[in-house]
Amino acid sequence: MALTGLQIYKLLPKTNCGDCNLPTCMAFAMQVAAKKVSLDQCPHVSEEAKAQLAEASAPPMKLVSIGSDENKLEIGQETVLFRHKEKFYHPTGVAILVEDALANDELDKEINSINRLKFTRVGEEIGINLVALQHKSTSAEDYAKLAEKITEKTSFPLILVCQNLSIIKSALEAIADKRPLIYSANRENFDKMASLAKQYNCPLAVSVESQEELVDLTQSIKKIGVDDLVLNPGIKKTGDTLENLTKLRRLAVEKVFRPLGYPTIVFTNEEDPFQEVIQASTYVCKYANIVVVKAKDTWQLLPLLTVRQNIYTDPQVPNAVEPKLYEIGAVTPDSPVIVTTNFSLTYFTVESEVGNSKVPTYISVVETEGMGVLNAYAGDKWSAEKIAKTLEQQKVREKVNHNTIIIPGLVAVFRAELIDEFGWNILVGPEEAARIPSFLKNEWKPAGKK
Amino acid sequence: MEVPDVKQSWPNSINEVTIGATKEGGGTRSHAITVGGTRTLPFLYFEGNIPHRPVIAMEVWDIAPTDWPEELGKYFSDVWDDPGKWAKKCVDEFEADFICLRLQGCDPDGENKGSHEAAQAVERVLKSVAVPLIIWGCGNDEKDNEIFPACSQTAAGERCLLGTITEDNYKTLVALCKADKHKLIAESPVDINIAKQVNVLATDIGLAPEDIVIYPSTGALGYGMEYVYSIMERGRIAGLSGDKMWAMPLLADIGREVWKVKEAIAPEEEVPGWGDHIQRGPLWETITGLVYLQAGTDIFIMWHPKAVKELKKYIDSLMKKNSRKN
Amino acid sequence: MIFVGERINGGFKDIQRAVKEKNKSTIQRWAKIQSEAGADYLDVNIGAASNKVDDFIWMIEAVQEAVETPVSIDSNKPAFVEKAIKACKNPPIINSTTADKEKLDQIIPLVVEHNASLIGLCMDRKGSPQDVNRRVELGATIFSEAIEKGLPEDRIFLDPVTMPLKFLQPQARNLIEAVHQFTLLSSPPPHIILGLSNISSKAKEMRLINRIFLVMCIEAGVDAAICDVTDKDLVNSAITAEVILNKHIYSDLFIKAYQAAKKP
Repeated sequence: MALTGLQIYKLLPKTNCGDCNLPTCMAFAMQVAAKKVSLDQCPHVSEEAKAQLAEASAPPMKLVSIGSDENKLEIGQETVLFRHKEKFYHPTGVAILVEDALANDELDKEINSINRLKFTRVGEEIGINLVALQHKSTSAEDYAKLAEKITEKTSFPLILVCQNLSIIKSALEAIADKRPLIYSANRENFDKMASLAKQYNCPLAVSVESQEELVDLTQSIKKIGVDDLVLNPGIKKTGDTLENLTKLRRLAVEKVFRPLGYPTIVFTNEEDPFQEVIQASTYVCKYANIVVVKAKDTWQLLPLLTVRQNIYTDPQVPNAVEPKLYEIGAVTPDSPVIVTTNFSLTYFTVESEVGNSKVPTYISVVETEGMGVLNAYAGDKWSAEKIAKTLEQQKVREKVNHNTIIIPGLVAVFRAELIDEFGWNILVGPEEAARIPSFLKNEWKPAGKK
Repeated sequence: MEVPDVKQSWPNSINEVTIGATKEGGGTRSHAITVGGTRTLPFLYFEGNIPHRPVIAMEVWDIAPTDWPEELGKYFSDVWDDPGKWAKKCVDEFEADFICLRLQGCDPDGENKGSHEAAQAVERVLKSVAVPLIIWGCGNDEKDNEIFPACSQTAAGERCLLGTITEDNYKTLVALCKADKHKLIAESPVDINIAKQVNVLATDIGLAPEDIVIYPSTGALGYGMEYVYSIMERGRIAGLSGDKMWAMPLLADIGREVWKVKEAIAPEEEVPGWGDHIQRGPLWETITGLVYLQAGTDIFIMWHPKAVKELKKYIDSLMKKNSRKN
Repeated sequence: MIFVGERINGGFKDIQRAVKEKNKSTIQRWAKIQSEAGADYLDVNIGAASNKVDDFIWMIEAVQEAVETPVSIDSNKPAFVEKAIKACKNPPIINSTTADKEKLDQIIPLVVEHNASLIGLCMDRKGSPQDVNRRVELGATIFSEAIEKGLPEDRIFLDPVTMPLKFLQPQARNLIEAVHQFTLLSSPPPHIILGLSNISSKAKEMRLINRIFLVMCIEAGVDAAICDVTDKDLVNSAITAEVILNKHIYSDLFIKAYQAAKKP
């Protein structure tokens, strides 16, 4: 984020000495802002000023990496408050909280539920990203052992939730190479905690109640040499956390306030299983870079992860698949042919239902510029003529023996014209994709061989 | 070190829209509901006033649905033969803030009921419950223009919210609203420019901006939700920044969109990886609601009683003292 | 876009006569016409009609009797400005000061005290700026002095000094480049205003030059102009330019939408 003319002017000696070959310092500042001259042209500018200008071109929010291999999570480096202004770059990490006071078999059960928390939606794998191991009562040795076990049995990077230095040290000795997030430094322990983070090269969370204290702490910790920080604005009611997260994001990206230019981490505190997911979803939408939840049921995580998937979609990239003839299952010349649009959501929904039907099927995708069935119809992006052309291009005539095409129920209006254009029978399919399996099993009948 | 102030000062408030008329106002409702009036982004109390809480209408039909999932049918099948009884159950048992009567029975591709029957349904609901009313047509422009005059007349004086006007079809409803003093839902197909255009067209022929609620279409969670979310955010910011044609409260039609998606309906046996559908369905509806709430939605139309309850709890937890209870 | 109506200026014969004869109706007619055309401020300039401060006050009071639209006090006589600013019902714009330190020291406290806004002309006693750098330097000086003395950013307007295309053609490009650089001064950038009609002074195609120049300057960063607000093509061009730059949400009836937004 470049400095403005006035900000640059503040860094200059303001003597108007003219050594830069410009009449005044103000003139020089504006030229630097316009990138017409370099700051070096002033022989009297301080080293600190030079450093400030260099730092100014760094991204407003730090990128922090947790974990150490292909499962590592990158968070932060956001630039906007609203996805429509540009996009959100790094999806919120979802962490499942596990308490340390677990017997062995209970731990295995927990790990099994956690490993189940992954889904496929719209052709994309979505899942949780981290496990947060909260220290409650175990010894340092046992905590470290637990941490080790979790890293062995799951692929997720860890968050070590403990503010006791010796326990953290013990855990780091065991798994530092996996670069867990240390949660957290606070007012009392920050210098020693930061030293540990530095020694073991791990990212560090900072947790204090007030913004002013957070500012002091991050600056002190940075001086110690740790800059991979994640901020926690305290555990509060949803509304208060929402305000705090908003303020932190604005400070980072609008004011480029460096002491708070870091990603954030929040913990849910709602006990009710519904309200917890609601609370976590709020934070995913509004500026949390990591959300730690206790929820472990698939029916809870599926909507939460879908919220994240939706909000973090790049608004500028059209959601379209390649228009071609897709084969679902072991297709034969007797297999049905379903026509649909190239809008990702439409295509993957149809594909998924076809998969559920267990009937091998061809899906002929028509180029509709990423618009769904009805929008493409309203926007004149497809027509009977275009469908016929597409079927020809995709050589559908040569692929199947029957001469029937299935069209989406919502565009039944295409039927008559498509019969004329393509010359085959047109079967009007269901309006809702959810009815595709029953349709294919019960109503699909080839209308006649070639 | 001094922390910069990030409070934004917005030049404009969102309009207040009042639905429902008590005796003083010429109606028979027990109270009126006012939405809008905010001068800040959703729930950011530190930078502006939020005078009214978002509200939830539960939906009833003028005919009994034939394809609602069992998870919903189990709450309503004992009352859905009569929109009055259905509305009463929604208000008394499930604490709906108000009611949305959808005239699904008038759909020409369905039972094709006429304006007389539609008006009767309106009357039955008005007589059964004292809460304000939304009257939503069948979605077919020609048919809606045919049935709305009688419905509007029947509800004259009750200050109902009628739905919807679109870019291509707005004159009939605008005239009815002016004559019978109702409010209007302005609909657009996930297009921020058309949303603005509908308001310009309607106000150009005399509808007051304060009589409009914006409905930019609704996408369920996982089914286009983020397109609508961004339109709402961008439009709400424009309204607060001074664009009077976007300074209206927002409406999300959640129930109808959510309860056709697989994630809300499919039983666990069908998709074992997705968990218990009895929880999953209402949660899907609630989460869709909360995301829109964070984008600025003021009015929700919902189906499942548990989803209504949970969203209300959530709204309660966010509202602070400077809000007036409806 | 902030439109300042230019018509109530003693340079026009009917205004001159009205001041001399103390005929309110001409002044008020122009106040109403410009307000209805969408002016956000009405510039009031006594010109050569009189050199009495009371006559200037009389003009302002006539305007305020007829419309609610706030006034732009167009005078470089400190005595006039001081009295006029007290006579204003709504916070006015002071049009203008130069970059000379004594002038800034004198006028800024007055502006701050009365909650008014200030137009800073990017020139000083050394003369009018002849190039980009000088304009930028003077503008930056005015801006930083004003901020230092407590004038909030959103009440400062920088005027890069518009010169006639007919006589000083190269200055048009210099001005546009200077405006681009003004936007680098602060975040958010400062208000930038043009005395628009100067660009077409003594030319034949006055309206055409005015509106094209304004549109080019809007792209560079101009967001205010003292101009003929009754020129519909001019106003519509400015609105269109702002929609093209995504400053307002597009709708097919975007001109209507903009005007509807102005209704109180």
